[in-house]
Amino acid sequence: MNPFTYSRAADWQGAVHDVAADPSAKFLGGGTNLIDLMKMGVEKPDRLIDINRLPLAQVEEMPGSAGIRIGALVRNSDLAEHPLVTSRYPVLSEALLSGASPQLRNLATTAGNLLQRTRCYYFYDPAFPMCNKRQPGSGCGALEGYNRIHAILGQSEQCIATHPSDMCVAMAALDAVVRVQGPKGERTIPFADFHRLPGDTPGVETNLQPNELITAVDLPAIPFATRSHYLKVRDRASYAFALVSVAAALELEGGNIKSARVALGGVAHKPWRATKTEQALIGKKADPETFRAAAEAELAAAKGYKYNSFKIELARRAIIQALSTVAKMA
Amino acid sequence: MANTNILGPARSRVDGPLKVTGRAKYAVEFEIPRCAHAWPVVSTISKGTITAMDTKAAESAPGVLKVLTHQNAPQPTEASGGGGAARSEGIRIEERNPLSDDKVHYAGQFIALVVAQTLEQARYAASLVKVNYAPEAPLLDMAAARKESEKPKKNNDENVQPKKGDVEPALANHILLGVRQTYSTPTETHNPIEMSGIIAAWEGDRKLTVWNATQFVKGVQSILARTYGLDLENVRVICPFVGGAFGCKGALWPHELLAVMAAKAAGVPVKFHLPRREMFTTTGHRTPTVQEISLAATSKGKLQAIKHVSHTAGAFVGDWVESCGARSSAVMYASEAIKVEETVYPLNVAIPTFMRAPGECPGVYALECALDELSYVLSMDPVEVRLANHADDHPLKGVPFSAKHLKEAYQVGAEKFGWSKRNPRPDTMRDGDLKVGWGMATATYPAHKMSAAAKATLFADGRAVVQCATHDLGTGAYTAFTQISSEQLGVPYEKVTFELGKSDFPFGPVAGGSNSTGTVGTAIHDAAQMLHRALAELAVDDAQSPLHRAKVNDIAMIAPGRLGLKKDPNKSDNFTDILKRAGKNAIAVQSKMEEPEEDKKHAFQSWGAHFCEVKIDPLVPRVQVTRVVTVINCGRVVTAKLARSQIIGGVVMGIGMALHEATEYDPKTGMPVNPNLAEYHVPTNADIPEIDVHFVGEPDFAFNPIGARGIGEIGITGIAAAVANAVYHATGKRIRDLPITPDKLL
Ligand SMILES: Cc1cc2nc3c(=O)[nH]c(=O)nc-3n(C[C@H](O)[C@H](O)[C@H](O)COP(=O)(O)OP(=O)(O)OC[C@H]3O[C@@H](n4cnc5c(N)ncnc54)[C@H](O)[C@@H]3O)c2cc1C
Repeated sequence: MNPFTYSRAADWQGAVHDVAADPSAKFLGGGTNLIDLMKMGVEKPDRLIDINRLPLAQVEEMPGSAGIRIGALVRNSDLAEHPLVTSRYPVLSEALLSGASPQLRNLATTAGNLLQRTRCYYFYDPAFPMCNKRQPGSGCGALEGYNRIHAILGQSEQCIATHPSDMCVAMAALDAVVRVQGPKGERTIPFADFHRLPGDTPGVETNLQPNELITAVDLPAIPFATRSHYLKVRDRASYAFALVSVAAALELEGGNIKSARVALGGVAHKPWRATKTEQALIGKKADPETFRAAAEAELAAAKGYKYNSFKIELARRAIIQALSTVAKMA
Repeated sequence: MANTNILGPARSRVDGPLKVTGRAKYAVEFEIPRCAHAWPVVSTISKGTITAMDTKAAESAPGVLKVLTHQNAPQPTEASGGGGAARSEGIRIEERNPLSDDKVHYAGQFIALVVAQTLEQARYAASLVKVNYAPEAPLLDMAAARKESEKPKKNNDENVQPKKGDVEPALANHILLGVRQTYSTPTETHNPIEMSGIIAAWEGDRKLTVWNATQFVKGVQSILARTYGLDLENVRVICPFVGGAFGCKGALWPHELLAVMAAKAAGVPVKFHLPRREMFTTTGHRTPTVQEISLAATSKGKLQAIKHVSHTAGAFVGDWVESCGARSSAVMYASEAIKVEETVYPLNVAIPTFMRAPGECPGVYALECALDELSYVLSMDPVEVRLANHADDHPLKGVPFSAKHLKEAYQVGAEKFGWSKRNPRPDTMRDGDLKVGWGMATATYPAHKMSAAAKATLFADGRAVVQCATHDLGTGAYTAFTQISSEQLGVPYEKVTFELGKSDFPFGPVAGGSNSTGTVGTAIHDAAQMLHRALAELAVDDAQSPLHRAKVNDIAMIAPGRLGLKKDPNKSDNFTDILKRAGKNAIAVQSKMEEPEEDKKHAFQSWGAHFCEVKIDPLVPRVQVTRVVTVINCGRVVTAKLARSQIIGGVVMGIGMALHEATEYDPKTGMPVNPNLAEYHVPTNADIPEIDVHFVGEPDFAFNPIGARGIGEIGITGIAAAVANAVYHATGKRIRDLPITPDKLL
């Protein structure tokens, strides 16, 4: 672990000021990902700015709408159990509860979860010589390596890593908006634009600037999100990252689908909003045939590698399963 | 006194309160003044030569005391381990001494060790060491190592290529029914919760103390004494608690030598606690296996031939043979002909070692799956197939198994499980949308016997202290030996203190092969006999004793705490009265180390049966084990509660083997990709159902005076097959490659 200094921010202005002044400084949330990566020698900040004392740990109704605002420091465990979440966005609660372990969720923050980095083996352990994320131009170790947990959608020859979050998959489906504060003031980033595909710059994972602080995530009102579900397929019953996951919400009108929200996890460099699936659902009957066609619409573009081609079929089945579950909800 | 109950009392752990209050001290938790910390640098290639190492930056980093490399490490006097020493004198699996030259034989090999005042300083400095290699093309999988492969004849004196009759005619006979299939298991890593670790402290050049997480304190003592040319009594090994081991702490591994070297070179005590990542490369693992099983049987299910051909991986830094077939197919069923073949493929991968039921675990998995396949070919119930081939006698030795109650195990298991309600056709049973499968398999593990000695001290106040340099790996050995001591000495359980984990105590063998309870139990039995004799000698000389002038040989313990005449128990005396009248505060005896007698008239082996239920979603097929019934026949069960825990632990680990566990390697560099507990999956609580454990049979007094055959390993044998067989029954899909992850069922 590299030597570093530590300070505690008293307010968001101070936090932003400190991080802007030192390009290698990093905010410290729950630390469950950052500290791990520092120990591995992947992240090497000179300075940690602890933001845990900032007043950003509230979940509130947004004035004038039925949406909610989630403070950046709300712990994953608190968010999962919050009545505004369990009553309006069950898919988010389920996604959170399927992630990590209770101990980790007690520490993990909303913003930290958004910014957690890939679990690609070749990224996580610098003993592997190739990783374009860690070392631009060094190549992708996973491409011809052990790539069972890797991407099937939106990847590039430069990087086939996936984003590991469950929470973010639900947020992608729910059209969340990320609020940030920077030296130039506040701005918002729609969820779909927050994480990036790897392209030629896999090291740049989000459109957040290094000197910006996430303050909250807003969820708009989606009345039909009460009929929503998160399905996580993994290698064991608990405490494993998703092989494939699906966040789904449906609005039905007399057996037909009026609106749909579907996002996938474990398949891409970002939480994958399945827009082609959604389009293929609208106006159709909520039956297995429709779900199958909708799943295939999204996965037509999927590409697998030596060890992960199964994810294409697994994703197809998981989409059908998740949509069927939602359709059956009262 | 012989205790004929099969089940001993349900004791809670005597060390339980220490453990739950954090007062149980594990090896690296001892506070040694001036102790420095070590962090390793490991190779990132699998084969080649180190051409240059730059340690300047590391050496000048804050707090650094020493950077050891092959260029400056003090070399021990014994050039490499292994060579000739008996197993009782310690075990080396990786025989190459660390830092002995510039060669790299596997990825993850120690190539430097940084010693600093704090752990963080050592870790940071280790990241500054720069290494250049001249890499060579490594052998990374068995297919690539065909030319280098070998058929070893023996593994620790055991014939690993046994045969009986000729299997080929039966296998070629088209009238017989048969199965020919290949089963494979991946590399599995022990992953005890306590990582291996050692604190080494020299006193001058001739005296060494190590606090070391080990399954073999006497072995470590012996090897360190030899390696450094020290007198045995000047090497002390201390290990009162072990936080799980499963075999990875049985041999002496490079990190132990490194810490001792580093303490010598740095002139201060050094603590080296392995990082979890290095537990995947420097303390062994279970070798991957590919096993071809061929069976031929009559239409009634009588086996005419079993052929078991295994391919397993070895290494270039020592020898390892995983005797899969020799420990399963060669002993389990009464087949007319049997042939076992083992081939080892040396790889540029860290060396394998024993892991819970080495050989038996993968071997029984393969054979028990093949028998399940045979049951469908024969349209016979899987239990019936096994009963039809029940071996009363050891198939190769031709002598009867002692106290074998396997038929009873099948019967009790089937009854508790409700096996008779099974629809034999696969893919027929349902729970709502879920597919349901029921599978079973036999469990087996040989009864091993080694030598040990114990010292017993009886005090006039009625307390007793018993000591042996044995181990408690978290298994409950403290409790079991307290129980055995109490029964054998005739001293109330609450008044017995059992001490272990110190090389100062009389010899205890490696805690492996499920031998400890029987072996150390026998030593305690012998010590108790000696103690009773010593008391009798005092009594017969004591005019006030009712036993005055009796013959010592006519005296025995007639009740706990009382000696009396065998023929006239009314003439008796109390232990404590005898001592007090003799004016003694205490009396101490030490049993002798004796080669265990070999009973050539019997074969000794433990048996069991697993029955399990799985449920699987047909669309998104992750296997969930929902019920397990396990019945074990292992002779006497010394402490019922802890024995049950041991079997449960074995079953849990076997479920992990069936469904989750695999160490995966990068095909290019040969480095493990998942060397941590987030990515190396063992079962979580959510993966484990209620496990219903029962014991059947009788104490096996032909085996030892305790009647106990050991229980540490049998629980894991067979359970992976029971799960795989249940998966087939649920889905009609036979997965012959473990672990059965969701992708394999699509
Ligand atoms: C063993 C294990 C298993 C796991 N399993 C799962 C799983 O199954 N599913 C899942 O979804 N996740 C899983 N996780 C990941 C876990 O969810 C993340 O580690 C956690 O959400 C990160 O949150 P944190 O607050 O601890 O982030 P930190 O580690 O504190 O920070 C992560 C990053 O975010 C930055 N950051 C933090 N807050 C802000 C802010 N307000 N503004 C700007 N930048 C900020 C930090 O600088 C850092 O770069 C697992 C983690 C572990 C260790």
